[in-house]
Amino acid sequence: MLFPTLSFGLFFLVVFTVVWAASGSNEWRKILLLVASWFFYGAWDWRFVALLIGSALLNWGSAELIWYNREASAGRRRAIMIAGVAGNLLILGFFKYYGFFVEQLGDVLRVAGYARDLPLMQVVLPVGISFFTFQGMSYLADVHAERLAPAKLLDVTLLMSFFPHLVAGPIVRGSDLLPQFEDSPRLTRDMASMGLVLIVWGLFKKAVVASELSTGLVDPVFFDPASHSQLDLIAAAYGYAVQIYCDFSAYSDMAIGIAALLGYRFPLNFNQPYRAASLQDFWRRWHISLSSWLRDYLYIGALGGSRKGFTRQRLNLMVTMLLGGLWHGAKWTFVIWGGLHGGVLALERIWDRVRPEGWPRLPKLLAILITFHVVVIGWIFFRAESFDAALAYLKGIGTASVASDVLTPLACALILFGMAIHFTPANLGQRLALQVRTLPAWALGLLVGLTILIVDSMRFEGVAPFIYYQF
Amino acid sequence: MPQDTPSPIDLPEAELDEAGLGWTFGVIAIASLFLLCANAVSLRDWIDDQPPGPTQQRAAEWADDWLDMTEAMGIGLPRKAIHDQWKRAEEARFPEHGEKEEGAEAAER
Repeated sequence: MLFPTLSFGLFFLVVFTVVWAASGSNEWRKILLLVASWFFYGAWDWRFVALLIGSALLNWGSAELIWYNREASAGRRRAIMIAGVAGNLLILGFFKYYGFFVEQLGDVLRVAGYARDLPLMQVVLPVGISFFTFQGMSYLADVHAERLAPAKLLDVTLLMSFFPHLVAGPIVRGSDLLPQFEDSPRLTRDMASMGLVLIVWGLFKKAVVASELSTGLVDPVFFDPASHSQLDLIAAAYGYAVQIYCDFSAYSDMAIGIAALLGYRFPLNFNQPYRAASLQDFWRRWHISLSSWLRDYLYIGALGGSRKGFTRQRLNLMVTMLLGGLWHGAKWTFVIWGGLHGGVLALERIWDRVRPEGWPRLPKLLAILITFHVVVIGWIFFRAESFDAALAYLKGIGTASVASDVLTPLACALILFGMAIHFTPANLGQRLALQVRTLPAWALGLLVGLTILIVDSMRFEGVAPFIYYQF
Repeated sequence: MPQDTPSPIDLPEAELDEAGLGWTFGVIAIASLFLLCANAVSLRDWIDDQPPGPTQQRAAEWADDWLDMTEAMGIGLPRKAIHDQWKRAEEARFPEHGEKEEGAEAAER
């Protein structure tokens, strides 16, 4: 069930009505939200609802054990936490990486002269598994560090299953959402106004900008780069940068908006990432819930961050980004994408350290342009089917002499639009929400209806799944 | 609500001291009714895509009648006009390309 579809719209109308009607009892409200979330997830594959429940039980049980042993030795509590995290990693590893690692192992054995028939299996990837396992692990780490008290089974299950963030984030941590489950929420006009603005804006970015660029430009060019011109290859690389932003940020916007209409506050996940003046700045603006997760729990929590010296810090950065790349999928292209980001982040740190005193800094515009192009090169690896395909794409940008006709005025306009929205005031949506919150319900209802009608008239036939569903 | 992490939901001005739930219900109800009338074609397409069966067939007949009625009243015209305009924008090509194609077609002839 995709957000920008009528199926989801009808589902949400029912959930919205029933859940607010039941708000007299917070427990019943949460149970209804949980059942709705399972129904939402079951629309893809009912079997994986059991996985979701099992995963919640694992994290609830581990957190209870950590808390029960809080007077025991630190080593014992740490061992329970590690066992819980390992359980999450086993789930993630089996469903997401089993095939990849067995293939790599087969290659290594063949090279070493010990070729074997390894037990390859076609494992179906449950939608959103990377998101809910990361949520589970951060919950355990927070309970272990006593940043968070263990929550009730119902709350932990709802934290991990809550349908707005379930399949493509943002990764909402227990410390953000669990306190909100303690009481029945109140829907304010502010929340509703901003929620509606985010939903309609997300709908536009996904159904119009991302879908149009994907089907009209990016997919055909990345499918067969060799038969496209230099201009098409460059335009499709920029086009993919805009597409992935409009696709993923649209999901986050709609998720935040839907949660707001149900009375819950989700964290910001994107903040105009292509206006970043360094890669460090980019990661403070792109998929903020993942980058802050990796920073807090992996880079600082598990690896020690910068506490163990400068050389170790650079190594930690590289390891974090390589694993961040692998989080996206079991493919070498994601690892290379992570490595590229890790490498450039490390170079930025080194340059900060060795830059001679008095040397001027790059003009901001130039820094933004350089950062953006590093990101675009990374996206080519991220989007390409294989490492060789990515290299062929990059080579084509330098040498292709084929004439082709994929680039259209509309695609150009959408790329320019996708870039231009990064340079508008950061709180434009909030300013709009401040305006619409004072409108009478009938006027805002007509405005919302009219905007959705316009978006629906422009959208590409059918809705492609969100890019981040596969992660 | 926890405020440790920023959220776009936190508006930069003081909260309005007015009820939100009834107002939001009103907004959603009006928007839904508006779309039911002005976007009947999407409803018809969605029902046509559902698994076939007696209920689906009845719903499809109702959706067809509803679409005919809204079109007869001219309510569906704005959507059609925007859609046609968008299709024209999708089909537009850069002039050099159009000229090249015309040239190639002429050469083939």
